[in-house]
Amino acid sequence: MSVASAERKTKKKGGGMSGLLRKEKEPVSEEELMKKDAITPDDVLRLKCSTEGYLCPPEANIYGIDFTRFKLRDMDSQTVLFEVAKPPVIEGSEEYGDGDDVDPNAGRFVRYQFTPQFLKLKTVGATVEFVVGDQPVNKFRMIEKHFFKDKLLKCFDFEFGFCIPHSRNTVEHIYEFPQLDSAEIQEMVDRPYETRSDSFYFVEDKLIMHNKADYAYNGGT
Amino acid sequence: MGLLTILNKMKQKEKEVRLLMLGLDNAGKTTILKKFNGEDIDTISPTLGFNIKTLEHKGFKLNIWDVGGQKSLRSYWRNYFESTDGLIWVVDSADRMRLADCKQELHNLLLEERLAGATLLVFANKQDLPGALSAQEIRKGLNLDEITTHHWLIQACSAVTGESLLEGIDWIIDDIASRIFTMD
Repeated sequence: MSVASAERKTKKKGGGMSGLLRKEKEPVSEEELMKKDAITPDDVLRLKCSTEGYLCPPEANIYGIDFTRFKLRDMDSQTVLFEVAKPPVIEGSEEYGDGDDVDPNAGRFVRYQFTPQFLKLKTVGATVEFVVGDQPVNKFRMIEKHFFKDKLLKCFDFEFGFCIPHSRNTVEHIYEFPQLDSAEIQEMVDRPYETRSDSFYFVEDKLIMHNKADYAYNGGT
Repeated sequence: MGLLTILNKMKQKEKEVRLLMLGLDNAGKTTILKKFNGEDIDTISPTLGFNIKTLEHKGFKLNIWDVGGQKSLRSYWRNYFESTDGLIWVVDSADRMRLADCKQELHNLLLEERLAGATLLVFANKQDLPGALSAQEIRKGLNLDEITTHHWLIQACSAVTGESLLEGIDWIIDDIASRIFTMD
């Protein structure tokens, strides 16, 4: 997928196509979006860089949507590169440990440390697993934007649509890794954590979750 | 240029194909999906929701949806019909007890308006099991020859060995492509 496919997806929704397209091309800042009551997919598609903060509070997720697994595999060598699963919550125990000073954003930020080799992968499969609470969820959509500094490396835009109450679901995107030249690779290796991603999740076109990650590619050097 | 032509042209440009994989529980839908994508199939548990894979295949962007087949989940299947180009119906060929049930569920789907334009591929799965019915027997058991509303094909296969999965998928894509992405 690419930026282009994200734009196509919006275009497909029809109804004032040209208007939507024009609006999309107008960049929007995080500050402008923070003034809005509700943030839509078109809003985040117009962001031209990673955000500093979160565009919605954790409480916006009223659907009990919880990401429980993430897996990355290299399709060419058929090997799992990385897998992390959230341990199941044991009844009666505290999910986030004890203490009152727990960072409220701890659950929605992840830092990844990879080796430079990682940037040379060709085709990868990224799987996420998530569970849904006791209400049906309609028009569930994910938009994930990856930036290195202000350059958009990749934009996923995928609509899951309906999710069954109490369901456990997975999605794997198998895709070509963005092609980078050696100068770009070197710069990304030299600047750890300046590669960032924002994952935005919408229900019925309203932002309900915002997760962030940053990445270093200087591991093992 | 009619609306349909325009829509077809838009789709043609993207070459995006949506496949919906359904069938009774324990038919092997998730195993087929994983095997087809070169994933480990040792630990597969009943699907209590959906599994989606998006991938490039033969120049198409495939979105394959595998939705759980347990009885309690079947009433939710309708939520996944929209925009489906191809329906893959997976059958446990060794499950003779539920073949009538399997036939009924399939024929119910074929009445669905939102699946009216979809190509049907029936996977007669689990051919590796002793006692599995042949594709010919499944074809009779499911009354496939009665189907006149959809393009269809039955393909014997084994998700465990991977046998004939590619043939089936390639057929359904070719059929969809010839219907939707025809050059004019």
